[in-house]
Amino acid sequence: MRVIGIESSAHTFGVGIVDDGKILAKEKEMFHIGTTGMIPAEVAEFHTDNAAEVINRALKSANLNYSDIEGIGYTRGPGLGPCLQVGYLSAKTLAKKLKVPIAPVNHGVAHIESTRLISGMKDPIALYVSGGNSQILKMDNKPFKHYRVLGETFDIGVGNMLDSFARELKLTPSWGSSIEKKASGGKYVEMPYSVKGMDFSFTGLLTKAVSMIPDVPAKDLCFSIQEAAFSMLAETTERALLLTNSDEICVCGGVAQNSRLKQILNLVAKEHGARFGFIEGALNADNGAMIAMVAERMLLAGHSTSIDKCDIEQRFRVDSAEVF
Amino acid sequence: MVIGEGAEAQIYLENILGLEMVVKVRQRKEYRIPEIDEPMRRRRTRKEAGLMIVASKAGINVPHVIAVGKFSIYMEKIGGKLLKDIQNSKTYMEKVGKELARMHDSGIVHGDYTPANIMISGNETTIIDFGLADMSLDPEQKAVDLLLMKRSVTRGMYAHFEHAYVNASRNGTAVKKQLAETERRGRYQSRTLS
Repeated sequence: MRVIGIESSAHTFGVGIVDDGKILAKEKEMFHIGTTGMIPAEVAEFHTDNAAEVINRALKSANLNYSDIEGIGYTRGPGLGPCLQVGYLSAKTLAKKLKVPIAPVNHGVAHIESTRLISGMKDPIALYVSGGNSQILKMDNKPFKHYRVLGETFDIGVGNMLDSFARELKLTPSWGSSIEKKASGGKYVEMPYSVKGMDFSFTGLLTKAVSMIPDVPAKDLCFSIQEAAFSMLAETTERALLLTNSDEICVCGGVAQNSRLKQILNLVAKEHGARFGFIEGALNADNGAMIAMVAERMLLAGHSTSIDKCDIEQRFRVDSAEVF
Repeated sequence: MVIGEGAEAQIYLENILGLEMVVKVRQRKEYRIPEIDEPMRRRRTRKEAGLMIVASKAGINVPHVIAVGKFSIYMEKIGGKLLKDIQNSKTYMEKVGKELARMHDSGIVHGDYTPANIMISGNETTIIDFGLADMSLDPEQKAVDLLLMKRSVTRGMYAHFEHAYVNASRNGTAVKKQLAETERRGRYQSRTLS
C-alpha cells in the first residue's frame, strides 16, 4: 500500500512515502531554531510556506503522482498545536481530494515502531529520547496493544536539556550535536545524578552545569553533562531490561543520533547478552517516513478514521495510542 | 556461589572463617566512566548498609550487617523462603504491614517493598534489599511502599496488609490518603507492572 506520511509536530515539516514498509521517499524542511528556540506561531508559518513544496518533492523523489497514493497518515500529537495544525490540514486536504483513507498517528509510537521495524526487533525495551520526550517503554497487550511507559523524565527531555545548555554556552545550534562535538577530550567534573527507580530528572543537572559556566572550561562541562545524563538513561534502561526479562534494547528519537549514547547503550546490552538496535542518523530525527510506516500498518489493519473525526491532540500520550 | 543478580549488584553466598555469609557486591559498570561509577557505587553501598543498621536499631528484622567494604556488604545469612515463593496468608500480611509501619515511623522508606524482598522463616519475617531505600518522612514516598505491595498481592491479602499498617503507623491515615491521590494520577494507571 502506497502511503504518504506528514509530520509537523515541532520544527520539522517532513513528508515520507512508504510501500509495504519500504521507504520510497523522505523529504523535509526544518525551521532553524537559531538562538531563540521555537516560537510556535512562527514555526507554523514556516510549515505553511513549505508544505506544498515538500509534498511535491517527496512525490517526485519516489517517482509517483498524486493518483498513486492509496493512504495518508499525519501526526495527531503530541506536539505544538499551531505546528500540528499545518500537517493535519495538509493531510485532510489530500485525503479529501484523493478520496483515500486517513490515519492519525502518535508521534512517539512512530519513532519507536519505525526503529523497531527497520532494525528487525520483536519486543524490545525502547529508550525514546528527543527534545521533548525521554521515556523507557515496552509493548503491552492489555487492555489493548500499546507501549507502556516503564520510566520517564520527571521534568524536561534530555534533548531539551542539552540544547538549553548549548544555548547558555552560546554554541552554534546544530541540532543537538553541538554538545557532543564540544565534549571530545573533556575531563569529568562532578555532576548531580538523579534517578529514582526507572524515572529520572534533568533540570538539576542543567542548573548545576550552567552555574559552573565561567569557572570550568566549556569542553569539560559538555563532557560531564553528557556522561551524567547518559549514565542515568543507561542505568534506568538496564533496570527495565532486567525487570521485564527482555533481550532487546532499541534507542530512538532525535538524541539517538548521538554516538556516545549508542556506545553506552551497546555496553548495557552486551553486559546482559541482549541485542542492541538503532537506525541510521537522519531517520531518528523527526521525519514523515516514520509516520507513513505506522499509518500503513494502521490502514492495513483496517483502522482508518473518517475525515470529519480527525483532529489534533497536543498532549497525546504515547501509552494511550493503540499500536497495530 | 552466586545466588542472585539484580540490576546493580550480585549476591554471593560465601563461607568466611566457617561462617556462612551473604555478600552483596556492586560490580563495576562498563557503560559508566569510572569517575561516575566508583563514587556512586561507594556512596550507594554505604547508604544501604547505613539504612540497614538504622532499621535494625529501630527493632526491624533485617539481616545483620557484619562488615562493609568499598563496594560490598557482608551480612548474616537468613534462613527460610521468600514470601513470593510460599502460600501467602493473613498472618504474614498483617506482620509485614506492622513491620512497614515501624520502618516508616523510624524514618525509613524501603523503595521496593514487595513479597520478593521479604523472607519468611517460621513466624519470623525479615526485610531484605535496602538498595532503593532512603531516609524520608514524606507521605508520598511512604505511599509508594504501599502501592508496590498493592500491585504484588491479591486484593484480599492487601486489605489485611493495609489494615495492619494503618493501625500500627503513627500517621497511617495520611499515608492512605496520599496513596489514593498517587493512584489517581494518570501516569501511574498505565504503569502497573504485572
